[in-house]
Amino acid sequence: MTPKLEVRDISKSFGTLEVLRGISIDVADHEFLAIVGPSGCGKTTLLRTIAGIETSDTGSIRVDGKQVTKPGADRGFVFQQDCLFPWRTVWENTIFGLEINGKVSAETTARTRQLLQLVGLTGFEKYYPTQLSGGMRQRVNLARALAINPEVLIMDEPFSALDAQTREVMQLELTRIWQQGRKTVLFITHQIDEAVFLADRVVVLGRRPGRIKEVVPIDLPRPRGLAVKRDPRFVTYVDRVWNLIENDVRDSVREDATVAS
Amino acid sequence: MADASKPVTADETQADDAARGRLAKGGKRRLSFASAASILGGLLLWELAGRFLVRNSLFLATPTQIVEEIVKLAASGELQLHMWTSGQEFFIGLAIAIVLGIAVGFITASSRLGDRTLGPWVTALYATPTIAISPLIILWTGIGIWSKVIVVVINSIFPMIINTDAGLRATDKHLLDAARCFGASRWQLFWKVSLPAAIPFVLAGIRLAVGRGLVAVVVAELFGARAGLGYLLIQASEVFNMPRLFAAVVILAVTGIVLTWLVGRAERILLPWRFAGDDR
Ligand SMILES: Nc1ncnc2c1ncn2[C@@H]1O[C@H](COP(=O)(O)OP(=O)(O)OP(=O)(O)O)[C@@H](O)[C@H]1O
Ligand SMILES: [Mg+2]
Repeated sequence: MTPKLEVRDISKSFGTLEVLRGISIDVADHEFLAIVGPSGCGKTTLLRTIAGIETSDTGSIRVDGKQVTKPGADRGFVFQQDCLFPWRTVWENTIFGLEINGKVSAETTARTRQLLQLVGLTGFEKYYPTQLSGGMRQRVNLARALAINPEVLIMDEPFSALDAQTREVMQLELTRIWQQGRKTVLFITHQIDEAVFLADRVVVLGRRPGRIKEVVPIDLPRPRGLAVKRDPRFVTYVDRVWNLIENDVRDSVREDATVAS
Repeated sequence: MADASKPVTADETQADDAARGRLAKGGKRRLSFASAASILGGLLLWELAGRFLVRNSLFLATPTQIVEEIVKLAASGELQLHMWTSGQEFFIGLAIAIVLGIAVGFITASSRLGDRTLGPWVTALYATPTIAISPLIILWTGIGIWSKVIVVVINSIFPMIINTDAGLRATDKHLLDAARCFGASRWQLFWKVSLPAAIPFVLAGIRLAVGRGLVAVVVAELFGARAGLGYLLIQASEVFNMPRLFAAVVILAVTGIVLTWLVGRAERILLPWRFAGDDR
C-alpha cells in the first residue's frame, strides 16, 4: 500500500550549515506520527519543505503517491507561532483556506460549523483573536487547518506556547478530535511525553545535521486518556526516547549558552 | 476544557480587562470634567482680559465678539461661501493624495525598481517643508481652486506614501507563510494579508495627511485666492478686523478638531479588531 505521506531523502543546507540529511519518513493512512528532536535540529525546516514553502536540496515529497512541490489543500498546517489573522474573526479565520481555494459553499460552511463545534468554539465565531486565550487560539488554528479537509494534517509544536495545564488539556482534546476522523497526522514536538502520548510511532531526530536516529512504535491502547501517562509502558517509552536524544539536547543547550555568552 | 457555552468573561484576563474598563470609565468622566472646566475657565479669562485689560480692539477680540462675528458672517452667506471653497480644495486634494499616495506606496513596497526610482524622491520631499513652495505653485497655476488642490496634494501625499509603504513591508512574515501554505497566490497574499495588515498604517497616514492638508489650504489661500477661509483671514488682517480674523481662526480650529474626530471614527469602523473588547 502506498503511504499517505512519503518524505523521501530530504537534505537541506543553509549556506554551510547542514540542517537536514537524508530524511525519509512514510506516514500511513490514518496514522498519527510524531517527530521529536532537540531545538534547532531542523524540525520546522522539514515541515516548511513538506509545506512547499521551502525547497530542499535533494529528495521529494509525495502525497498519495503524487509528488508535490507547491503548497496545496492536500496538506493542512498548524504552526509553532500563533498565526491567526488578527483582523479576522474566529469564523473568518477558520474559512480562510476555503476562501483562498475558492471552496466556500453551503456544504463547506456547514462542515466548518461542525468543526468549530468539534474544537469547542461554538459561540465564539464573532470574536477576534485578541479576545481569545492561547488555548482557544490554537483551537482556531487547528480548525482552520482542518477546514480545507486536507489529506494530511501537519502540526509544528502547536502547543509549545501554552502553559503546562492547558497543554495537557489540548493533548487530550487532540486525541479526541483525531479519534473522530482519524486523519493522517504528522506532529512535531520536542516534548517527549507529548509525542509518546499522541502518536502511533515516534521518529527521533538527532541534530547537526538533523537526521533520523530511530523510529519507535508506540504500542499503547486507544482511545488514550490521561491515565495512560501513568502506565509503566508509557514511562518506559518516554525513557527510551529520552535516552536517544539526551546527549543532543545537552549539546544544544550548551551551544545556545555559548552563543548567548 | 471550558465548555463553549460558558461566557468568556469567566476567563481571568477578561475579568481583569473588565475591571480596568470600569476604572477607566470613572477616570474618564473625571478627566472630561477637568477638560471642560479648563476650557471654560480659559474662555472666561480671555473675555475678561479683552474687556478690561487689552481694551484696544486692534490687538484682541473677545470670545463674545468672535461669536457675534461668526453669526454675522453666516447670516450674510459669506461664511458658507468661504467654507465651501476651502472645503472643495481640501477634500479634492486629500482624496487625490490618499489614492495616489496608496498607489505609490504600493509600488515602492512591492517592486524593487519602483523603490529604487521613486524612493529617493519620496524620502527627500518628505523631509522638505513643501509648504514653502506653495507661493511658487500659486504663481504657476493661478488663483483658482486647482492651484490650492495641488498644494494640498503635494503636502498630504508624502505621509500617505511613506505609511502605506511601511505598512505593506511590516506585514508579519509568519502570517504570509501561513497564507502561502494554504496556496495563496501573489494577489491573494496582497489582498488578504498585506493590505489588511497595512490598514492601520494607512489610517495613521490619513491622520497626518488631514493635518498637513488643512495647513496647506490656508497657506495657499494666503498667497492668492478669491475666496476661502485663508482669504477671509488675510482680508480681515489687512483691515485690522480682529473679530473677523479670530472668527476665521476659530472656524479652522473647530474644523481640525472635527476632522480628527472623524478619522478616529473611521479607524474604529475599519479596524474593529483593534478596538474589540473596549466597549463590549
Ligand atoms: N531561513 C534560514 N536561513 C538560515 N538558517 C536557517 C533558516 N531557517 C532555519 N535556519 C537554521 O536551521 C536550523 C534549524 O532550524 P529549525 O527552525 O528548523 O529548527 P527546529 O528544530 O524547528 O527548532 P525549534 O525546536 O527551536 O523550533 C537552525 O540552526 C536555524 O538557525
Ligand atoms: Mg521549530
